[in-house]
Amino acid sequence: MGETRYLIIGGGISGTTAADTIRQQDAGGEITIVSGEPYRLYSRIMISKPHYFLGKVPPEQIWLKKEAWYTDKNIKLIAGKTAVKLEPNAKTVTLNDDTVLPYDKLLLAVGICARRWSAPGADKKGIHYVRTLEDFQGYQPASKTAKQGVVIGGGAIGFEMCELMRLAGLDTTLVIREPHYWDPVLDQTSGRLIEAALERGGVKIIRGQYVTEAYGGDSVEGLVLQDGRRLPCQMVSVGIGGFCPLDWLKDSGLKVNRGVVANEYLEASLPDIWTAGDAAEYFDPIYEEQLQFGSWSNAQNQGKVAGSNMAGQKQPYRLVTFYAVSGLGVSIAFIGNVNPPAPDSGKQVVSRGSFELNNHGRYIIKGSRIVGATLINRTVDVGPLTKLIEQRVDVSGKLQELADPKIDLKTLLPA
Amino acid sequence: MAERKIAKLEVKRDLCIGATPCVVAASTALELDGENKAVYKLKDGSKSSGPVDKSQLEDATLTDDVLLVSAQSCPVKAIFLYDEQGQQIYPE
Repeated sequence: MGETRYLIIGGGISGTTAADTIRQQDAGGEITIVSGEPYRLYSRIMISKPHYFLGKVPPEQIWLKKEAWYTDKNIKLIAGKTAVKLEPNAKTVTLNDDTVLPYDKLLLAVGICARRWSAPGADKKGIHYVRTLEDFQGYQPASKTAKQGVVIGGGAIGFEMCELMRLAGLDTTLVIREPHYWDPVLDQTSGRLIEAALERGGVKIIRGQYVTEAYGGDSVEGLVLQDGRRLPCQMVSVGIGGFCPLDWLKDSGLKVNRGVVANEYLEASLPDIWTAGDAAEYFDPIYEEQLQFGSWSNAQNQGKVAGSNMAGQKQPYRLVTFYAVSGLGVSIAFIGNVNPPAPDSGKQVVSRGSFELNNHGRYIIKGSRIVGATLINRTVDVGPLTKLIEQRVDVSGKLQELADPKIDLKTLLPA
Repeated sequence: MAERKIAKLEVKRDLCIGATPCVVAASTALELDGENKAVYKLKDGSKSSGPVDKSQLEDATLTDDVLLVSAQSCPVKAIFLYDEQGQQIYPE
């Protein structure tokens, strides 16, 4: 019998960590990574962080692996190519240059792409997305010549781009269609705390408005809002969510929803196929729900579990997911499952803190235990919350303590 | 790894974004503090972003491999490792 052929679609942190993990457990297997971007692994996180944006760290720090790493580990990297067809019976993946790659074990770690804004003029120069190194190479220099910038979208990218535009000295306006920041994931108090930080940082906020058009010549000269207002600008940053590039799988018979559907072992619906990272819609044994998370830590650790399982182990993915973003004097942290509870979900939300106290925590309770939390300026809760969620601690008799900002959450942990 | 032994460790607080892979990779070595920055857990019970001596770490069983993997897991390269001569081992 020949060596196992491992094929990994996706060269980001998840796919690369999987490759590394497989190599630790299978010295002789053939490992191939296909990356849609024409580079080796880099830090997607850095492209929206002030130090990198302002050039305070050397540009080469973006690379997380040396080129030699791939050859040293005997991992073949096919960069700048995308998968266009999966044939699970023949066990092959076809690339956009017609290369057909056979596999014994396949990992789909295709990540998430920035959702494109569609409106008249949305393709003009000066309208930027924040996902790839190529995106960065567009907006970083653009920020040096623009005077006025507009950020569309109230999420993590919107928040970070507001800060970067202000650091670059732009007159910055944020347009959100929701009534408050990060609605409905955050409540009004949490959203207002973020808005207050943005406003203190010099960002003008327009709520409850769509952008209907971008005007100008080849390059954007301004945006038109739903109510007819015109916002002159030379730079626009769009952060309106993302989608997983899964169209190529639709005729394969693989079960795909918003992400690749998988069980707690990250096994997809067909044999010898796994998924990991932002594109994995997996059954989470902690929350007992089918979930999808987009965070670095999640992608990295799912890559590790999927890689191990591909090499012959059988481990469930079990990690209390954490995502944090901070800047302009405010910290925002999401722990566990923060999806807004549906009215019929049986979940309830307990809050502590207030706008006046400049901190606000929301703890999402399912049955008798906490399954997630959103924290504004309450990083102090992160440690105990992670344990409360992971250990499935019964808090049903302690909701008053949970709502009281004077009580340390550590006291809710079993002795 | 490395012929060069880790002697000092440091989390650069201005770079750290609190993404936590370092904590996942070495949970007995690191945690996040109230400012969402990673700190090393020391045997005197205190926490510090450092620089700290490896010998000060609370968990004396931590190997250089684990500490290196933890540093390498940082997506913004905020963790710096130094050898006994004070030379930087990581980031390379």
